[in-house]
Parts: sequence; structure tokens; C-alpha cells
Amino acid sequence: MSERKVLVVDDEIHIVHVVAIKLRNNGFEVISAENGAEAFERACEEKPDIIVTDFQMPVMTGLELVEKLRRNEATKNIPVIMLTARGFAIEDEQKKALQISEFLSKPFSPKELLRSIEDILYHEKIKNQNAEVEVTH
Amino acid sequence: MRYDFGVVDLKLRRNLYVMITGIVVCSLFVGGLTFWLNSGIGVGWHFATPVFTGAWGYVVLMCCVVGAVGVVWLGWYWLKLAGTIASIAQRITGSNSVGRIGKGKLSAINGLSELINEQLDSNADYIAELEKQIKDSQIQIQLTQRQKRNTDAIIYSIRDAVIVVDEFDRLLMANEAAGRLFNFNFKTAQHRPIDELIPIDADKNEFVDFLRQSRQSKSRATKREIKIVDRKEKLNAKERILDCIISCVYDESKQNCGVVAVLHDITHEKEVSQMKNDFVNHVSHELKTPLASITAYSEMLFDGEADDEQTRKEFYSVIQSQAKRLNRLIEDILNTSRIESGLIKVGKKPVSLAILIEEQLQMIKSYAEEKDIKIIRPECKDVIVFGQVYADKDMISQVIVNLLSNAVKYTRSGGSIKIETEICLNHESQDVARVSVTDTGVGIPENEIEHVFDKFYRVEANKAQAKGTGLGLNLVKQIVEKVHNGRVFVSSELGVGSTFGFELPLATQDVMSKA
Repeated sequence: MSERKVLVVDDEIHIVHVVAIKLRNNGFEVISAENGAEAFERACEEKPDIIVTDFQMPVMTGLELVEKLRRNEATKNIPVIMLTARGFAIEDEQKKALQISEFLSKPFSPKELLRSIEDILYHEKIKNQNAEVEVTH
Repeated sequence: MRYDFGVVDLKLRRNLYVMITGIVVCSLFVGGLTFWLNSGIGVGWHFATPVFTGAWGYVVLMCCVVGAVGVVWLGWYWLKLAGTIASIAQRITGSNSVGRIGKGKLSAINGLSELINEQLDSNADYIAELEKQIKDSQIQIQLTQRQKRNTDAIIYSIRDAVIVVDEFDRLLMANEAAGRLFNFNFKTAQHRPIDELIPIDADKNEFVDFLRQSRQSKSRATKREIKIVDRKEKLNAKERILDCIISCVYDESKQNCGVVAVLHDITHEKEVSQMKNDFVNHVSHELKTPLASITAYSEMLFDGEADDEQTRKEFYSVIQSQAKRLNRLIEDILNTSRIESGLIKVGKKPVSLAILIEEQLQMIKSYAEEKDIKIIRPECKDVIVFGQVYADKDMISQVIVNLLSNAVKYTRSGGSIKIETEICLNHESQDVARVSVTDTGVGIPENEIEHVFDKFYRVEANKAQAKGTGLGLNLVKQIVEKVHNGRVFVSSELGVGSTFGFELPLATQDVMSKA
């Protein structure tokens, strides 16, 4: 089985670093970006299995990034986990419309983040397998 | 016109006396003549004999006497009647309002005068009642006028706009604030249709619409937030938010006879509220970011995810630096709050700005090197003198570090920062020490430059460039101007760079010796 690829996006270099160590220690390949614009380019090039992004970033925010990802054919189905240090989260409808799998508020636990990533990827895998079975039949 | 009944009476009496005297004298003359002829003394007056002599003579004499008495009585009666009529006339015309018409021996006229007396008495009571009512009404009018003046004074002096319209939407009253808000002359606008004063265009009709809706809804009072566009400054139209209360006025038959609108401008409250909300969100983000690093790295250490000693050291170092960052932020927030409330303790001493700058430059050096930013410190125009200014060392250090870190934050890699100090000798005012920090950063748009020292304000275009709470420059201003009686300044050119700086009064010999 090929290494699962995670794109970590945050303008806080320490956060990217700690998440990357945690994920690499657990068998993930990690690529990173400092802002939404850079993340979109990397997502298009590298086609990660999942994206972990901060909410508030310079140049392009996390929300703008997700909106852009969903409009693009190649990236529209990539699951997204959003980290936020804001005092409020976005509305449920918006979360649903943008297909944001999960919101984790800062400070977060790297363990919890890892668990969420694995859960989401597992569900994605099941979903894809079901889709394949339907196609074969 | 009033008649002098005394004079009339006098003339009447005089004429009567003359007449009565004439009649009595005539009667006596005729009587005497008769007596004289009858006694035979008047011999030769035979031509009168048939009339004045004998029994006829006595008859004539008696008639004369009776006639004289009758005339006297008639005169007296006439006098009495004239007196009574005069006194009635006096009462009616009011020249004798107190006295009653006296009762006399004239029974025929007594009844009449009694009736007139009664009528006049009741008239007098009625008049007294009317007079009392008029007096009461006058007092009431005065009170109402006074109340109206008070109410007008209140309405004209309050800051909220007050507009009163009649049932046809014509302006009955508006105060100065209303005139200012909707841009019309409140003194000359009375009776003009409200939609003429507040033109129904796309921007302003919200108020007039609300006014009409409230009237139609027939509710006594309605409240709503409305928006209008303030076009006083033609180039810089500003939207204002108003808390509008509309009360309908009804008459006795419950018909609407007007509407009173009170408009309270809540634009500033909204802005402050929005600012506070933004600040809480911002501070929450700023506090949580270093905390997130601390929490994540501690957990990694605890879970044994750091394999070697070097990684562990790196993790400890991150935790330490993030804890310091958190502390700095908390200190900034607390200091701003303390200075604003005047609770901060200020320990002023003679300090050298040049030495403080050198100390802070050492602190910022690694940050600047990280971003490949060159720090230029031109040869000091002034010598390093201890006690250049009389200031709180920690606070001024904070000012310098805030200005330097801002310059590094907003300057792109490869740029430079120049920090200069100089002494400015003013002949007219106090001599000052000036510090300026010039960067080759992103610069500030012209329309935003006046706000850069405002609390929580962040230049919109530069938000992406660096993080911040919008407290640093406000703290600089507070420390320099409020605590040290100095002055801050800024100049900037978009895309070229900015110069931030401050001036502090030079310590005088008096202050130095006291210190």
C-alpha cells in the first residue's frame, strides 16, 4: 500500500512542524504550505489524500482555500480538516456546503488530529470501495 | 361713555326748586290778593270781584294751596324717581357696583328696583365667576406657555434628532439634530412635506417609509434600526445606523393627528461593538496560537514522539519561545488597559535613549537576521549622554521594541531598517530628543495613516503581511503622549516604506537634580 499523503497548511511554522513529525512517525507522507494560495498549488500538483488547514492565514484564508478546492475538478473531493483558533466556528450549512470533514479548535492534540485523519481516510476508503463495486456490477 | 349722574341730579333739583318756589309764591300771591279783596281793603279792583270775592274766593284760594302742595309733592316724587333711575343707571353701567338701589317710599318703583337689584346681583355673581375663570385661564395659558418653552428647550437641546409631523406628513417641528442629520434648515422647514425635506431617493427613503408604515399600523409606538446615507461630505458619503422610535399621536376621536419620531445615532456604538468583537476574536486567535504550539509540543514530549536528545531540545525551545510570546501578548493587553485606566505605576528616572536603543536592537537582531533584513544605525548625531530624558525605562524600551519589531514585521526579506536619534533644540518651546525608525516595508495607504495609532486598528491591506493585535502602536502612543508628555509621528509612502518615531522632552537640570 502506498504512503498516504497529507498536506498541512498553516502560517505558524511550529504547528506545521509538530503535525508533520506526528504524522511521519505514524507512516504518513507530509507536504506543507504557508498559506491558502500556496496550498492550492501544492494540492493540484501533489493530489494529497487529505488536507489539514488553518482557518486564519495571510494571502488566502482556510475558507477561501476550501472554496477554491471545491471548484476545481482535480481537488473537489479531497477531505479537509480545519484547525481554528477563532472564538467561533462557521455555520453548519457552510461547513456542509464546503464538505469540511471536521473542525478542530486550537489548542489541539496531535493525537486527536491523527485519529481524525485516520477515521476520515478509513471512511473515504470504504466509500471508494463501494463505488468501485457498484461500477463493476 | 359714562354719565355724571351727580351733575344731572343737581341740575334737576335746582330747576325743581325754582319751579316749586315760583308756584308757591304765585299761590301765596293769589291767596293774599283774594284775602285782600274780600276784606274790602282792595276797593276799586272791582274787575276782579266776581272771581276773588265771596265763596269763589275761598275756593280759588284752596285750589291754589292744594295745587301748590300737589306740585311740591310731585316735585318730591319726581326727584325721588330721578334719583332711583340714576342709581339704577349707575349700577347698570357699573359706576356703582357695590351699593344696592335703596328702598324708598315709592312703592311703584320699589318692585322694579328690587327686580333690577336681583338681576344685577345675579349678573354680578356671574361676572365675578367669569372673571375668576378668565384669571384661571390666563394662569393656565401662562403655565402651558412655560411648559411649552421648557419642552421646546429640552427638544432643541437633546442630541437625538426629533421630528414631529402632522396627519398630512407635513413637518410641525424638528430640532437642530434632525436638521443636521437630514441636511435641512430646521428653523425654516416648518409645514413643508417630509418627503420634500428628506428626499425619497434610494438612500434615504427608509425613514419616510418607516414613518408611513408606523402610521398605517396604528400601533402607538414602533422601534426599528434604520440606515441612512450621510451626504454632508459629498466625496465621503457615510452610512449611519439609527435607532428610530416612532410614536403615533391620536386625538379624542382616536384619529391619528400626527407622528413623533426620535432618532438616536448608534453608528459609533455599532462600530465600537464591532471593534470589540473583532478584538476578542483577534486576541483569542493570538493567544491560542502560541498556546496551541505549547500544548502540541508538550504532548509530543509526553508521548515520547521526540526520539533523540536534539529533537527534545528543539521541542523545549519551541515551548519556551511560544510561552514568551504568549506572555508578551498578555503584557501588551494589560499595559494598554492599565495606562488607559491610569492604574500603571510609572518609575521615571534619567535615561539615555541611545543606550535603550542599543539594548533593544540586540533583542530584535536575530528576528531581523531571520528575515534577512539589514539594520542601519547611522553615526549618532548626539553623544551618548546619560539622562537625556526623564522617563520610565521599561516603558520606553517597550516603545522602541514595538517600533523596531513592527518595522521588521512589515519589511520584506532583503529590506533594511534605519534607526536614528537626534536632539532638537527649539527656541520657542521645550527641547526634545527625537527617535525615528525608517523601514523599506510595504507602506501604509494615505487614507489609513491617521488611524494607525488607534487601538485595535490594523491596516487592511497589510493584514496578510503579518500578524498582530493592533495594540502595539496604540501602546506606543499611550506611553509617549499620555505618560511622558511627548509626541508620536508617522509618515509613509505605499510600497516604499514608513517612518515611525517619537519625541520626548529633554530632561532639564532641575529635574535631574531632583532625581
